[in-house]
Amino acid sequence: MTRGEPEESAETRRPKRDEGRHRRVEPPAGRAGGTAMTRHVLGTIGRATFLAVVLGFFSLPLLWLASAPFDAHPSITTSLPEFTFGNFRSLLDNPYVVSSLRNSLLQAAGSAVLVVVLAALAAYALSRVRVPGRDALLYVLLLLSSVVTGTAAMVPLFELATRLNLIDTHLGVVLTLSGGLLPAAIFILKDFMDGTPTSYEESARVFGASPLQILRHIVIPLVRPGLATIAVWAVANVWGSFLQPFILLRDPDKAPGAVILYTLYTEGGAPRLDLISTFSLLYSLPVVVMYVFVSRRYGFRFHGGIKR
Amino acid sequence: MISLSGLTKEFPGGVRAVDSLDLEIGDGEFFALLGPSGCGKTTLLRSIAGLETPTSGKIRISGNDVTALPPGRRNVAMVFQDYALFPHMDVTSNIAYPLRIKKVSRSRREARAAETASRLSLSELLARRPGQLSGGQQQRVALARAIASHPQVFLFDEPLSNLDARLRLEARTFLKRLQRELAVTTVFVTHDQGEALALADRIAVMNAGRIMQVGTPSEVFHRPIGTFVAGFIGSTPMNLLPASAEGGRLHVAGAVLPLPGDIADGPLVYGLRPEYADLSQSAPTGRRDVFSGKVAVVENLGAAHLVTLDSGDLLIQVVVPEGDEPAVGAPAWAVPRTGRALLYRDDRLLTVA
Repeated sequence: MTRGEPEESAETRRPKRDEGRHRRVEPPAGRAGGTAMTRHVLGTIGRATFLAVVLGFFSLPLLWLASAPFDAHPSITTSLPEFTFGNFRSLLDNPYVVSSLRNSLLQAAGSAVLVVVLAALAAYALSRVRVPGRDALLYVLLLLSSVVTGTAAMVPLFELATRLNLIDTHLGVVLTLSGGLLPAAIFILKDFMDGTPTSYEESARVFGASPLQILRHIVIPLVRPGLATIAVWAVANVWGSFLQPFILLRDPDKAPGAVILYTLYTEGGAPRLDLISTFSLLYSLPVVVMYVFVSRRYGFRFHGGIKR
Repeated sequence: MISLSGLTKEFPGGVRAVDSLDLEIGDGEFFALLGPSGCGKTTLLRSIAGLETPTSGKIRISGNDVTALPPGRRNVAMVFQDYALFPHMDVTSNIAYPLRIKKVSRSRREARAAETASRLSLSELLARRPGQLSGGQQQRVALARAIASHPQVFLFDEPLSNLDARLRLEARTFLKRLQRELAVTTVFVTHDQGEALALADRIAVMNAGRIMQVGTPSEVFHRPIGTFVAGFIGSTPMNLLPASAEGGRLHVAGAVLPLPGDIADGPLVYGLRPEYADLSQSAPTGRRDVFSGKVAVVENLGAAHLVTLDSGDLLIQVVVPEGDEPAVGAPAWAVPRTGRALLYRDDRLLTVA
């Protein structure tokens, strides 16, 4: 509505101005309208072409991911496949593939649970308790976690993991990855917590609810969409993490999918495109399914509140 | 019975929301905390609930010192201004929530919720979520939830302010009847003097963290002890005019009135409610006890009109019955009724004139 109004008034103003010009020269009334029309059509075609090129640029790799796993002789270009399921069979012959999926699941689920639980508690506390310098603390944490990335902190992290005997354990990977995700998770969840009015909790408190009961009965159900968002985001992050598990895990039996993908080469060092594409497809499916499921469940649901 | 002694609440930053306040609220009383916004009335209510910790002073409920007790152990129920109904629970679960905390079995608490709901004619709505209810229904659910917890004291924070004007009157009558039936001590906060007068057995008028006057609606309306209360109570603000006593006569805005009792000469404030003066459109002959002026504004109040007279540098308001309203700009005279005006000196009520 508000967007339409100024356009409309511009529209109504334009013919008036044209009228004033035309009164003196008296050209056929249709011409000015005709050129504007042509310009409009050309503009639309140009925009559509540009969007098509951009769309193609981004969708070709996805098309490759959809076609190459079913191609008997995949190359790095997208082409109609010589249809086969053979790639899946030869992929499953690799002893590490299935276990790597299990490892990925374990590490992703572990990190997601840890991140959601810790971030929810921290965000609730930070949202409700007046701590001097709270906002500064949050911003510094967020800044550090995005500037000092896992890559930059890898040496000290490795050193720390070695001293704590966490090398070659799932726990080590889970803790390292969770640590990296927590600041942003706390930051996002605190926003969700800030959005729920304190009168809900105060009301529960007057009825005698304990802090943990308030968290369980009131706060968590209200911020559930936020918790789901954080869980999905944590899983997707851990699922795609390569460097930390690559460095912290020695035993290929414990390596997650992202690391095993890196080993799908021939002895000569040439990439096995059939295996890489197939595994890539297999490896990305769980995350896609999870996204679809969670956005169905939590994507656009609101509990009607009170007019404020 | 609630008794507060020397209650003070100072917020970080040095704001004294409640300033060494003493108050006694009787059993079963419907008690209003009335005042302009920022006067500390909500802080006082929240202190009784236990949601604010007083800086100093004591709060007793039925003789027990609850000052240090958490809200849940004071046996009070609070209805919040926004009702604070849990949006993710249906009406039954909302009403039954206090019982859930008290570990009452599911079947018992659902039965109690249904019983309380039927009392407040909410039976049809038990399966709905708060978002699907109208404002009035939400308020009744909030009341039902408070009732279900069987408290010793009800605390209502601005109970009617979230309702639209029409519904507000209905809800007011309903609330008063409900409180009579339950006979539970009830304290409510309002900034609307009409609401306080209509609902309460007694009213505490507050300003700047202090109680200005405690009394029945009739007392605070007819005998406001200071000019603040006088100006705050009443649907049309009281005329407060500078006056002076000289030689047994009262001089106010050009009029000379008899001075009651033995009041020493000196400056006074003359207070007269617009309802307690009559407007005359012809000059009363030979009388000096009338205010003369020009009609500046006429406001329609429905069955009456509020006329503002411009009398030199003072404005005097008079309520005029329907049909008697003067034309704007015409000269008019305001005749005060005897025994209705209030005389203040040093902001204290001296006598009635």
